[in-house]
Amino acid sequence: MKYPPALRAFALSCALLSPASAFGADGVRLPAFRSATLPNGAVVALVEKRDTPLVSMNVTVRGGALGDPAGKDGTASLYTDLIQKGAGNRTAAQFAEAIENVGGSLSAGAGTESIGVNASFMSRDVDLMLELVADVLQRPRLDAVEFEKARTLAVQSIVAAKDSDPRALMSSYGDAWLFRGHPYGRSVGGSEATLAAVTLEDIKRYYAEQVGGDRLIITVVGDFDSAMMLQQLERSFGTWRKAGAPLPIVPSPARVTGRSVLLVDKPGATQTYFWLGNVGASRTDAARTAQSVVNTVFGGRFTSMLNTELRIKSGLTYGANAAFSRPSQPGSFRIASYTETGKTTQAIDMALDTLARLHKDGLDADQLKSSQSYMLGQFPPSIETNGQIAARLADMLFHGLGPEDVDEYAARVTRVDATAVRSTIEQSFPQPDNLVIVLIGDAAKIRDAVKKYGQVTEMKITDPRFAPVTK
Amino acid sequence: MVTAWRAAALALGLTFGAVAQAAAPEVPGANQIVTRTLPNGLKLVVWPDKDIPNVAMYTWYRVGSRNERPGITGISHFFEHMMFNGTKTRAPGEFDRIMEGSGGSNNAYTSSDVTVYQNWFPNSVTNLIFDLESDRMRNLDFDAEKVESERGVVYSERRSSVDNDNFGTLIEQMQATAFVAHPYQIPTIGWPSDIEGWKVTDLQDYYRQYYAPNNAVMLIVGDVDPEAVFKLADQYLASIPAQPAPPAVTTKEPPQLGERRLRIERDAQTPLIAMAWHTAAESAREARVMEVLLSILGDGDSSRLYQRLVEKEQAAVDVGTQFDAGFDPGLAWVYAVVPPGGDVTRTERIIDEEIARLAQEGPTPVEITKARNQALVGFWRGLETISGKAQALGQYEVFHGDYRRLFGAPAEYESITAEDVKNAAATVLRRDNRTVGVLEPKVETKAPVREGAK
Repeated sequence: MKYPPALRAFALSCALLSPASAFGADGVRLPAFRSATLPNGAVVALVEKRDTPLVSMNVTVRGGALGDPAGKDGTASLYTDLIQKGAGNRTAAQFAEAIENVGGSLSAGAGTESIGVNASFMSRDVDLMLELVADVLQRPRLDAVEFEKARTLAVQSIVAAKDSDPRALMSSYGDAWLFRGHPYGRSVGGSEATLAAVTLEDIKRYYAEQVGGDRLIITVVGDFDSAMMLQQLERSFGTWRKAGAPLPIVPSPARVTGRSVLLVDKPGATQTYFWLGNVGASRTDAARTAQSVVNTVFGGRFTSMLNTELRIKSGLTYGANAAFSRPSQPGSFRIASYTETGKTTQAIDMALDTLARLHKDGLDADQLKSSQSYMLGQFPPSIETNGQIAARLADMLFHGLGPEDVDEYAARVTRVDATAVRSTIEQSFPQPDNLVIVLIGDAAKIRDAVKKYGQVTEMKITDPRFAPVTK
Repeated sequence: MVTAWRAAALALGLTFGAVAQAAAPEVPGANQIVTRTLPNGLKLVVWPDKDIPNVAMYTWYRVGSRNERPGITGISHFFEHMMFNGTKTRAPGEFDRIMEGSGGSNNAYTSSDVTVYQNWFPNSVTNLIFDLESDRMRNLDFDAEKVESERGVVYSERRSSVDNDNFGTLIEQMQATAFVAHPYQIPTIGWPSDIEGWKVTDLQDYYRQYYAPNNAVMLIVGDVDPEAVFKLADQYLASIPAQPAPPAVTTKEPPQLGERRLRIERDAQTPLIAMAWHTAAESAREARVMEVLLSILGDGDSSRLYQRLVEKEQAAVDVGTQFDAGFDPGLAWVYAVVPPGGDVTRTERIIDEEIARLAQEGPTPVEITKARNQALVGFWRGLETISGKAQALGQYEVFHGDYRRLFGAPAEYESITAEDVKNAAATVLRRDNRTVGVLEPKVETKAPVREGAK
């Protein structure tokens, strides 16, 4: 591959357009959608799109890992594993067969602030899809034997991930260290240690308190009749009980000043994987478009400043990038890359210098224009499929954004000027001396060299958690 | 309810593929696909699709690690990197800088059989992208300094995907063991000493031999007018000279004479086991049978291996299957992640039992229906995006000899019977036709620090 797939993910997102929708010089628009609020407060949005005989459904349940009990990270995640192991009148095996026999897919998973149930079926099987999604949410069996299996499997999967490509683990350690003490620092999937503490009673309490009709955002996109679909959704979801507890509130996390280093020892690793982060921006930040325009140039595409320095010019790595993750409160801004063990500090220094250069030089007019063209050109394919549109609508509704989030995307991008660029760099991009630095690598070989970045805290990759035990 | 897509398709009266006319799905817009072969042998396939104002352009070259030999393993993939690193008219980096600055993005991948270059861009810059793509097909240059720095990039890629990934390590070793004669034994990323050793002259030879218009196919899907595309092709691509056909890969893997086994010891917590059987080439009917067989065996939570190993016996954390074949007969894979501290031999025994059961009893009618439905949904999902369409057209044009066969795929899966699957389980998934690889944690010793391998 020329470029690691993970780095492409930032470009994901839009493309739809029912036959009636339009695009032009001012960019793509969201297709017409029908929206409604059900009696229990569930929010619904529907888009008919008939170019393939498929239907995608996304159910977002507000709350997610924010509802995990203290010390029991992974409760919401385990809950989403368990509801797929038997629901309604089907056992776990029957449930899997019902989905797969018709070629459908249905999966549930937890995120930091919500739970998602995603389904995709042939349009001829849409009734079955609705039945299964309703069962999974409203009639999960929460069986004791299945619970023990799911918990064991969750623990073993984490252990297996530690034997695999470390790129997949970097943000687990990074977020845990950056947001320590804040809900965003919890491991959504839990750790070996916290999963061991979760009981079936915790799962049942989570279900009663953190899941219910008033928490739902339901989006359906594809080959169906929306009037009929709305009736079906009202019947299936409109009278479901509400969640028993209030929605958890997230405080705004504080930015980090100074530097600290977390070194995760993976003996025998031939590369060091590094993650440099600080608190960044929220999904609804007024400067979000300007941040993306700047980050496209800094670390968001192949020719970015970071990838140019660390890969294209020096060959130190296969990839270097930067990204904002944007939950409802400011999430992380992070730089990530990796290099052979012996070049660890050379590569980190280079990343820090590049960040310093961003602050010093900003963007010139050509860079600004290039970034805007890139963002405009890459936006339409990010809302192209049923699944992408369903996810985008759900995300907008979750964050209280209207169709303008898509429809005015092009206008917002075009409006970013030199002044906005300058103030965004100052306000949203950390200075190189205010960073949390997380490293996965062979500690025996890099321990001394990385002391120059700040006080080093060390842990082993085999430790049963993603953050060091604090005193 | 007659939906728009069905109505559209009915109006078109599609007649694709002799294989499966009766059941050919009605794909909206498929009747608008047009092709042209330039005098220099470059074939273009254009599918106009105005869903979004963008274009996916995929250029497939019929070259991959299968065309390599000891000394230059990995060079097809390295060459893929060098295609972004300068021509006689544009300095290294210009290709990407111009493309991204005009709203486009790109990537590329290399396999044992092919190298594929992907461009995604707004339709307003189609002309410019043709200019860039033709420039590197005609004028590629090799800057000695770039060659050196790019070696580091590829080595870093290797470290992440193979050396520091236990599955990557196991698969590489198994591929090298399963094939004793055929170049499918070569890892596409390349052996470390070859990554360090290939020369600029090797790259130049490769360019001349394989990067000729007559060794390529270009798929263009999106909001374009085919006639305008062909005009651009005439302008930018038609004058690139054809080259003699590259040397054919003639080596055939001889029949395997008995089970092969390999064992790797690593710093690890979870043991891994994988099995690989020699099977058919991508274009053979047996390839579809194997896909159905593997899907019944290990694809999804309702599959036989998942139910038995993960759900019932807790003898695996995860299981999966993979069908790997190209121009030549490839491998069918089954793998399992064994729980930490778990007994690999027990996991292996259960996999063997399930394979024996499938060979003896064959699949149930429900399993056959399931596999067909999954293939049908897979077909449609592949056509949801302009990129998916370009990939699917390329896959069928290159490996099956005609992009139109894509539309016969669902019917081909429909034709697979329980008897086909039962026979394949008995004749392909034989012990003496397989390679078994096991990766196990190093036995703990008292030594405090273990140094990595040299």
